[in-house]
Amino acid sequence: MSLSIQYDSSFEGFLSAVFEIYRQHLDVGEFRPDRGDGNLGDGTPGDIFMQPFRIETSEDAANRLHRAILNFASEEVYNLLHAALLSEEPGVEMKILAYLKKLFSGTDPNYGRNPASAEMLPLYKIAQSVRREAGGLLGLVRFAVGPDNVLYAEIEPRFNVLQLMETHFSKRFANEKWLIYDSRRDYGIYHDEFGVQVVNLPGYKSGSMDLKDAFTDLWKEFYDSIAIKERENPKLLRRCLPVRYWNHLPERSVRFAAT
Amino acid sequence: MDIREKLRILSAAAKYDVSCSSSGSNRCTPPGGLGDACSAGICHTWAADGRCVSLLKVLLSNACKYDCAYCANRRSNDIPRATFTPKELIDLTVEFYRRNYIEGLFLSSAVIKNPDYTMELLVKVAKELRTVHRFGGYIHLKAIPGASPRLLTEAGFYADRSSVNIEVPSDKSLQYLAPEKNFASIYAPMNFLAERKLEYGPTARLRGPSFLPAGQSTQMIVGASGESDYQILSLSSGFYNRQKLKRVYYSGYVPINADKRLPVLTTKPPLAREHRLYQADWLMRFYNFRYDEILDEAHPNLDLELDPKIGWALRHPEFFPVDIQHADYEAILRVPGIGVKSAQLIVSGRRFSKLRLEQLKKMGVVLKRAKYFIYHPDTPASLRRLYPEMVRPLLLPRSKSGQLDLFAGSPLALPA
Ligand code: SF4
Repeated sequence: MSLSIQYDSSFEGFLSAVFEIYRQHLDVGEFRPDRGDGNLGDGTPGDIFMQPFRIETSEDAANRLHRAILNFASEEVYNLLHAALLSEEPGVEMKILAYLKKLFSGTDPNYGRNPASAEMLPLYKIAQSVRREAGGLLGLVRFAVGPDNVLYAEIEPRFNVLQLMETHFSKRFANEKWLIYDSRRDYGIYHDEFGVQVVNLPGYKSGSMDLKDAFTDLWKEFYDSIAIKERENPKLLRRCLPVRYWNHLPERSVRFAAT
Repeated sequence: MDIREKLRILSAAAKYDVSCSSSGSNRCTPPGGLGDACSAGICHTWAADGRCVSLLKVLLSNACKYDCAYCANRRSNDIPRATFTPKELIDLTVEFYRRNYIEGLFLSSAVIKNPDYTMELLVKVAKELRTVHRFGGYIHLKAIPGASPRLLTEAGFYADRSSVNIEVPSDKSLQYLAPEKNFASIYAPMNFLAERKLEYGPTARLRGPSFLPAGQSTQMIVGASGESDYQILSLSSGFYNRQKLKRVYYSGYVPINADKRLPVLTTKPPLAREHRLYQADWLMRFYNFRYDEILDEAHPNLDLELDPKIGWALRHPEFFPVDIQHADYEAILRVPGIGVKSAQLIVSGRRFSKLRLEQLKKMGVVLKRAKYFIYHPDTPASLRRLYPEMVRPLLLPRSKSGQLDLFAGSPLALPA
């Protein structure tokens, strides 16, 4: 009977699971990430022909697997696998596992450098979408200045990209206090003079960070006045700036309308 | 006049300057300061016309003493005039930046009083942002033709990028449309800044602040005067090679002023032409095309129906089909439907295995276009030749002509 592997949904958790799979020669049927929302995996009922098997996250195991990936491939591949996992796409773990199995088998010494192998190409595509969203969102985060001079922003990304955005904001707003909250996944990152930490705001109501002030209105004024009427192109606009992001953008959202 | 009113007037007045790039600079957040400049450039929103917005793009003033025919701010127009104080601009920049609305400031201006007076104000804004507010975000400053070398040099140390817009693609038309300007007055600050950048270049950077780390750009208006695309591209090519410009922008002329020297007010902006020029420019910058390969005296204008890469390919059947498995990178890059990313993937991927069509697709190759131009082992020898007359209709956008739809789906025996 093959196993349904449960892990804590983090990349370290996944690497720890792979480590155990190798150590104990486990026969894996599927992965069920535990995202802390009461559902396992994508929320579908478990396969009754598989036996649940929980693997705890171990820093040591994750590090060893990290080193193994560096030995057989590269840091680049390691980061790519991480990005692919952040897609949270059902079944992506099995795809990564298939890749790692082939990589570690060592039958093809060049495998780790081949971006076009049957196992790598789909992961490459997934990682690309995830990175594209993370990259695009860097510009779309909208901070509101809170009374305590803390900058607040809410996002609802399709993929779990917050951790990929952390470095950018830590560098750029190195001397500010700020919080970016993923309300879809109910966690955020908070930055102050002590660094970055992950925070949860239980019972957070979406939209409550979208405060506005005089500069929000000036920004909307600016946005409206730069439109060139003769060149309006709603289709192009939607392609560049998908509607699903508009909700938290003062310049596009009705929620920020002047009162 | 309140700041809101000024912002409305002075951002509307700046919107025809299409450059909005915030890329090419690498600036770290100053100690205790705000913001950095990211080398890749970031879009913060998109305007209703689909243009990326990354900078607070405004004029310091629209009260111009010149009278360029194509410009809304010319002195002979009866329009509301406004001028920001440096403090207002600095507040807007810092507060927008903190909210992550923008990558930085793009500051241009009409000529108030005289070029030096105007340039002085522009420099003051940049200087205070950098020194008083320790602002590390992106700053693009317009260089005002006629400003003194001292001010231009100072601007270069505070700004990431500078630009002087040539606007009209030939000296004759420029003098005709903008009596106070000529090519020499535009080239002078451009050349001056290019030389300073060399002088304070990478080696000097260790000693002091860097000079215009993101280089220079310029803009040309397309369709206001009679120049051909060939003339325009040859100018651009010169800007890239001689003045070492980072970007040339093309702005399809939007009629603003009734003026007998210009197209009538009802003229639609030539958006398709502008788009093709950008594609051609892209080919020069990233695909190693020379301007005189893209066009020549016999073909002085870009084909509006097909992108210039396909255009070149169809004029050079002898170059194709390209053998994906063996051809060098440069040749693969010339295949329509293959971009820089996929060309790189092909070259690194093929060392390990034979590439199948299916794989090419996954690498991002647009087979619908590329298939006519690449060599595939299964193609019969008799079909390994490109027939431009047959391929051209297949590559035209379908909606253009209903008749072409009949052909599009049929299994024409062509190299695939
Ligand atoms: S100098 Fe500049 S702002 Fe003044 S009229 Fe000419 S283009 Fe317009």
